[in-house]
Amino acid sequence: MSRLSPSLMIRHFILLIGAAVVLAPFVVMLSYSLKSPAEIERGTGGLFGAQEMMVDPKCALRSAPRREDVEAARARFPGADDGTILATLTNEARAACEVRPVVFNYRSAFQDAPLLRYLANGVIVTASIFLLQMVIALPAAYALSKLKFWGREAVFGLVLFCLLIPVHAIALPLYLGLAKIGLTNTYAALVVPWIVSAFGIFLMRQFFMTVPDDLVDAARMDGMSEFAIVWRVMLPTAIPALLAFAIFSVVAHWNDYFWPRIVVTGDRNLFTPPLGLREFQAGADGNLYGPMMATATVIVIPLIVAFMLAQRRFIEGITLSGMK
Amino acid sequence: MATVTLRGIQKNFKETEVLRGIDLAIADGEFVSLVGPSGCGKSTLLRIIAGLESASAGAIEIGGAPVDGLRAADRNLSMVFQSYALYPHLTVAENIAVPLRMRQLSAAQRLPLIGRAMPGAAEQNREIDARVMEAARTLEIDGLLERKPGQLSGGQRQRVALGRALVRSPAAFLLDEPLSNLDAKLRVHTRTEIAELHRSLAATFIYVTHDQVEAMTMSDRIAVMMGGEILQCDAPARIYEDPADLRVAEFIGSPRINVLPAESDATGRISVLGAGLPLALPGGRQTLQLALRPEALTLTRIDPLLHGCVAHAENLGHEIYVQVTLDGAEQRVVLRADPALQAQLHLGAEVGLTFDPARALIFDAEGRRMRNVVSALQEVPA
Repeated sequence: MSRLSPSLMIRHFILLIGAAVVLAPFVVMLSYSLKSPAEIERGTGGLFGAQEMMVDPKCALRSAPRREDVEAARARFPGADDGTILATLTNEARAACEVRPVVFNYRSAFQDAPLLRYLANGVIVTASIFLLQMVIALPAAYALSKLKFWGREAVFGLVLFCLLIPVHAIALPLYLGLAKIGLTNTYAALVVPWIVSAFGIFLMRQFFMTVPDDLVDAARMDGMSEFAIVWRVMLPTAIPALLAFAIFSVVAHWNDYFWPRIVVTGDRNLFTPPLGLREFQAGADGNLYGPMMATATVIVIPLIVAFMLAQRRFIEGITLSGMK
Repeated sequence: MATVTLRGIQKNFKETEVLRGIDLAIADGEFVSLVGPSGCGKSTLLRIIAGLESASAGAIEIGGAPVDGLRAADRNLSMVFQSYALYPHLTVAENIAVPLRMRQLSAAQRLPLIGRAMPGAAEQNREIDARVMEAARTLEIDGLLERKPGQLSGGQRQRVALGRALVRSPAAFLLDEPLSNLDAKLRVHTRTEIAELHRSLAATFIYVTHDQVEAMTMSDRIAVMMGGEILQCDAPARIYEDPADLRVAEFIGSPRINVLPAESDATGRISVLGAGLPLALPGGRQTLQLALRPEALTLTRIDPLLHGCVAHAENLGHEIYVQVTLDGAEQRVVLRADPALQAQLHLGAEVGLTFDPARALIFDAEGRRMRNVVSALQEVPA
């Protein structure tokens, strides 16, 4: 064991501050998703909230006693006047609407917005994007790494150049193009602009460079066509790199708010999870932070689970340690 | 099984000439080694034969049919690579089966999962499995069929690569330094096995190596390549005994052949380091090089041709390599001596050397073999 030298302590201190800065919003999100609105507003309740029973305001509003309820209940309260009956009924209704804040938040997330539909949309869009990116990036990367043709380096230069183009710079022309061919408010609008991934081509090309040429030649001798080599030889050997790319791609498009916000203008059935967050944004009754943060938590959970499962291979892929 | 004929094969990479006109005719069932130092173009030549690389000029025939412009898969050749190039995601059995599957199954039958249900697939797959098993038995790897290449040792991988090559019956086998990744002991063992495999298959083998021992021990003929040319293509014994070029003589044989400066006088009489030899070369005065295999030199007390002193001795047990610094020459010569003589061969010991003039190989200053050497006891023709 090395002793904690001052420089080591300073280093750890700086790293801890960095970790705190990165983790803080996440902790707030989780914490808010557990607390009641009152606790959030007042900043009380600690990390997990007191979890005292609260009244679901929507439920209370829905089941508030009406005129006919008072009439119908008159038999139960002989001799009581209407005011008392109304107060009693109201209290009963409120009691029936009491929930724990955590239940309220997460139930609202799923009930007030079709969150499952949004999650399904997220899966459809990110999976389609990733599959199509693969269909294009793998053959392109193979050609750029293993085939000799005139202008190969120039083409690779163009790929690198494309890495430098920010999405937002070309968003408007892309939108106009999609609008002209009538594709806005479709899945295609969410998917098609992303299927050629310069980053994917670059990453896979770098990985394929580490695959021995002999393997490609052996496949040729064994009678494989060039496309068969891509799918039957290169793809299986590139699984770690592909997994790394999958995480980049899926995270980016699962969390993307900007592009879906632009091309999905009306149809709520096409909303992706991040768009779903807007459901709780600044309505007439103010922001509903609890359900909003519950939604956010639900949205990030699939990503975190996927990362945990693939963590080791993900890091393998990033370091691009292929075969020797 | 087929002949392989190369005519005037040239290959240029940009400005560099890698192969400058290779002609080679390989008979059906012959084992030919392409041997030479690294960078001599032997691997490029093999890749051109395989169809993995295209020649800049020249023609190739396999089994009498021209294959120029035919892609590698259609040339019906098998190749074993130096790195083995096994598919890392497939088991040994699947690796060996790949060439058969690619050739015998239709695209639909090769589909994962549902492929086996396609019409005719079951029968084809049974046949493929049987042939994989047969190849595995031949190479004694039938116990490893379910393993992945990552779980195998170098020697086992090498066998799997061989299995993948011989599972179908190709026109010829191409082997690109298949033993160079094995340790020394395994290399000797596998050498014998490949030679026996060649005998039992009676197939055409083209074997690329930089190791002259491999070439000498396995081949019917050796093609010694240097600088993009075949210097000599002959049986191993002929290459060793009767090299056509000094570079061939120097490349083949270990320890290296001894080269001494020599000259012929006006009458053609050859002398080495001032010692006249009973040899003559018509054509008058010229500078020559005289090459002697280490076993052609013998130690002698009586009337030695050359004098020197022992500079270094290596005792191998069954013989001693003695390095002798000759009087009047810069480089040392190496000779093989009987271990019984060890006591006399201490460092700095004065020794006399002699050799049978008939075993001396005479080359001109450029290293071309001079074959018109005559015994000087006869009259030198004018």
